Amino acid sequence: MTPRTPAPAGDDPEERDPGMARERTSLAWTRTAISFAALGGTVLKANVITGLIILAVAPVIWELGRVSQGSGLAAGFPRVGPARLFVIAVAIVAVAVLCLYIAIFGKSVPGALR
Amino acid sequence: MSWASRLAEFGPGSVGRDSGGTEPDPRFTFANERTFLAWSRTALALVVAGLAIVQLLPPFPGVPAGRHLLGVPLIVLGAVLAIAAYAEYVRNQRAMRRGEPLPRSVMPWILAATIAGMALISAIVLLISALR
Repeated sequence: MTPRTPAPAGDDPEERDPGMARERTSLAWTRTAISFAALGGTVLKANVITGLIILAVAPVIWELGRVSQGSGLAAGFPRVGPARLFVIAVAIVAVAVLCLYIAIFGKSVPGALR
Repeated sequence: MSWASRLAEFGPGSVGRDSGGTEPDPRFTFANERTFLAWSRTALALVVAGLAIVQLLPPFPGVPAGRHLLGVPLIVLGAVLAIAAYAEYVRNQRAMRRGEPLPRSVMPWILAATIAGMALISAIVLLISALR
């Protein structure tokens, strides 16, 4: 994942991205997206349809993480932050509800294997 | 304060609308965001663990509801943690804007209490199924 915007003036990496905060945050977003994919892969084993739905969430999270890279420190901190995080929280709750449904009703849910 | 306005405080727009105080150092905002993401991954791991217990584990002999007893609380805890992590992010961000001390987090307590409870349930389920 390379930054979309060119680095602001100054060759010092500390000046461009103090404490590598932005890079570390973008890596954290990547890990979160991968976690969604891993969860989707596991759910796939229990229920194909739900697994595919959760797998489809992973690229969305990945894309949301790239949004946070777009605006540099010079341009001011993006105010979209909380909304993106809200999306993640809602997605996890939705995923948990789906998994709860599979866990309780198991094989009678459409898409169930075996 | 009414429940509706208290709830609206945690909406996604509330942090942006909050004009009190000054915008904190971006590094702190990024750190706050990473903390939220780390809790989110914890929540996802709990959901996947709960589902794996119910779906992939062989049933406990003598305890037909055993797998559900262990898996369902984990999945519910995952959802609770996701919400709590978001609320915590909003509270921390507000405190940083206003230069107040960061509020004390209840999430480690929630996690620890639930893991202890799960260990207890696991021990009971295993004992019952062993004694059968």
